[in-house]
Amino acid sequence: MNTNKKIRILMAKVGLDGHDKGVLLISSILRDAGMEVIYTGLRRTPAECVNTAIQEDVDIIGISILSDAHMSIAKKMVALMKENEIEDKPLLMGGVIPDEDITKLKEIGVAGVFTQSSTYEEMINFIHSAIKN
Amino acid sequence: MSDINAYKRDKEKWEQEKLIPAGQKLHMENPPRMYTPADLDGFDFKKDVGFPGEFPFVAGRHTIPLLSAFWGRGKTLGAGKAMKTAFGYSGCGTGSDLRDFYETEKGRGLSARGPNIAFDLPTQIGLDSDDERAEGEVGKVGVAVDTLKDFETIYENFIGDRGLDKISSNWTINGTANIILAMYIALAEKRGIPQSSLRGTPQNDILKEFIARGTQTFPIEHSMRMTRDTITYCTEHMPKMNTISISGFHMREAGATRVQAIAFTFANAMAYIQEAIDAGLDIDAFIGRTSFLNFGGGMEVFKEAAARRAARVVWAKIMRDKFKSQNPKHWIYKETGAALAGFWTATKQRPLNNWIRVAIGAAFSAMIGDAPVLSPPFDEPLGLGHSTEAGQFAGDAARIIIEECKLGDVQDPLAGSYYFEHLTKKYTDEISQTLEKIDSLGGTIKLVKDGWMKNEIVRSAVAFGKKMATGEEIQVGVNKYTEDDEIEIIPKLTPMYASIDRDSAEKRQLQNLNKIMEERDGNKVRSCLEKIENAAKDEKMNLIPLFVDAVKEYATIGEICNSLKNVFGEAL
Repeated sequence: MNTNKKIRILMAKVGLDGHDKGVLLISSILRDAGMEVIYTGLRRTPAECVNTAIQEDVDIIGISILSDAHMSIAKKMVALMKENEIEDKPLLMGGVIPDEDITKLKEIGVAGVFTQSSTYEEMINFIHSAIKN
Repeated sequence: MSDINAYKRDKEKWEQEKLIPAGQKLHMENPPRMYTPADLDGFDFKKDVGFPGEFPFVAGRHTIPLLSAFWGRGKTLGAGKAMKTAFGYSGCGTGSDLRDFYETEKGRGLSARGPNIAFDLPTQIGLDSDDERAEGEVGKVGVAVDTLKDFETIYENFIGDRGLDKISSNWTINGTANIILAMYIALAEKRGIPQSSLRGTPQNDILKEFIARGTQTFPIEHSMRMTRDTITYCTEHMPKMNTISISGFHMREAGATRVQAIAFTFANAMAYIQEAIDAGLDIDAFIGRTSFLNFGGGMEVFKEAAARRAARVVWAKIMRDKFKSQNPKHWIYKETGAALAGFWTATKQRPLNNWIRVAIGAAFSAMIGDAPVLSPPFDEPLGLGHSTEAGQFAGDAARIIIEECKLGDVQDPLAGSYYFEHLTKKYTDEISQTLEKIDSLGGTIKLVKDGWMKNEIVRSAVAFGKKMATGEEIQVGVNKYTEDDEIEIIPKLTPMYASIDRDSAEKRQLQNLNKIMEERDGNKVRSCLEKIENAAKDEKMNLIPLFVDAVKEYATIGEICNSLKNVFGEAL
């Protein structure tokens, strides 16, 4: 890909969780870091999220979940991304996710998982390297 | 006045000749300030502080603060087991999971001997467990409730001396609160208990959902009608039922500043009150059954405590001057919880530090006569459902604050402090100014609808987030003191919901729902739903009696909400 092109990231609230402070804050941080952020708004389904990712031609997808529904949503997202042949786009998750689930999420195909332990720098660097690879 | 000028002169001299040069030697841009009578120009103790339980209520909302009345030294409660369970909030899995949890936990998770129920998101939003949007969310952040059957199961053991007329129930639910209330009424009627004897509190604060928490179900105007229904119905039929618990802390958690959190809470409260007054109720007939949850908090404890003291006078003036309440008992906001340290201040890193954070907050809470509630449990950032150990810590810290520090022995001990009174005045002005701004921009309902309040909060959240990035704001163990020689300490944890098979909850709840759908009389349900849909079209109708009829026939929450959505539309 052209490295001068701005990174386009889809930030999404998937599922019924309505806590959006994290996703809005991180969206703002990523914009400051020079990325183009497309935000879905609340209560999107995995199918809506994948469709938006295709239509907006994003490079990477970030999903915010604080409601403990991360495992089932991750499985659906990974399956739908394969079905729509966009599994090359890295899938990131962030929110309240217990440490023991982070390994499980990575095993099923989530590229990166961020919690409140993560720094902005860590997230930004991860996104750059995930897209290069 | 000449005294004040003398203090101003002396203070300025001290700052210029001593403080600033001393600070410069230590390379301090902002050496610690000193507050003097010069910062309290015009302060009048009687007018600005007064006595506890009297206008302006700055020294205390009650003659004896709740802290001392319920948790005071010498009280069995204070020293006893109840401290650990006083604010239990719980829910997970299916109705039978929660029923059994209350038994095995021997009172943990119960409040005032009744349950304080957390509902899962599908229930909060008005979706049935078999709705495809509910997949993966059933029984997750709370208990799944589809029909009255689930309520019958949850309350199965609340009989005899723990009967529905003996306990108080709390339901943390908003958009669908009136349907949950209808289930409680139906459950009581089936047991032959009059609804007039029922006590409880639905959260029922939908405006803050639009602003900060995101479980809105119906568009704002229709949601406000539902709130009006709660207030008018309960005022007439359920004199012991609180109608609403107006909450600031969700907004604070979403990033609001302390002034925004308090001002927006009051703005929302005034909108609900106006709705009830417009329905023809007298302010003093219903206001006693409204309550506030809390305003949230943060780690700058002097500011938090002062802002709360300021809130007392601002609210008293609203009740007395704007709504013309004739009963001074109604000029105070009813609030039993306190969260002076906030939840957002808790860190995942070195989680035991959270216990230190909330203990400091709770100590300041006690110093303004509020309950030393230790929220959140120190391990909350590690995942949902705290540990038994965290409960022990929280209970013991509150006991130490009361029994050992004896912080409940003197009322308003910080009164008269130049710094503290200066802050109280500053926050009184700022909260009032924010309320005036809301008014001048078109009022609460318009601003919630436009997203103005939400945007203001997001702006504050982003501003704070950026200060964390630059190090202007510090969280220990997060953006400072993270070197390799710092150690992570995590004590033994016994998860709160260890006894519940959470993975199978969704499957089991779908079985429960299928079973009740087969057993019930479908024709009767359809007839109830038609009546609801028709009544929804008439803005004046109170829908709660129709909800009671429908839930008795085991109509589901999703079905009732769909009937309403046909008329109201859906909110997002």
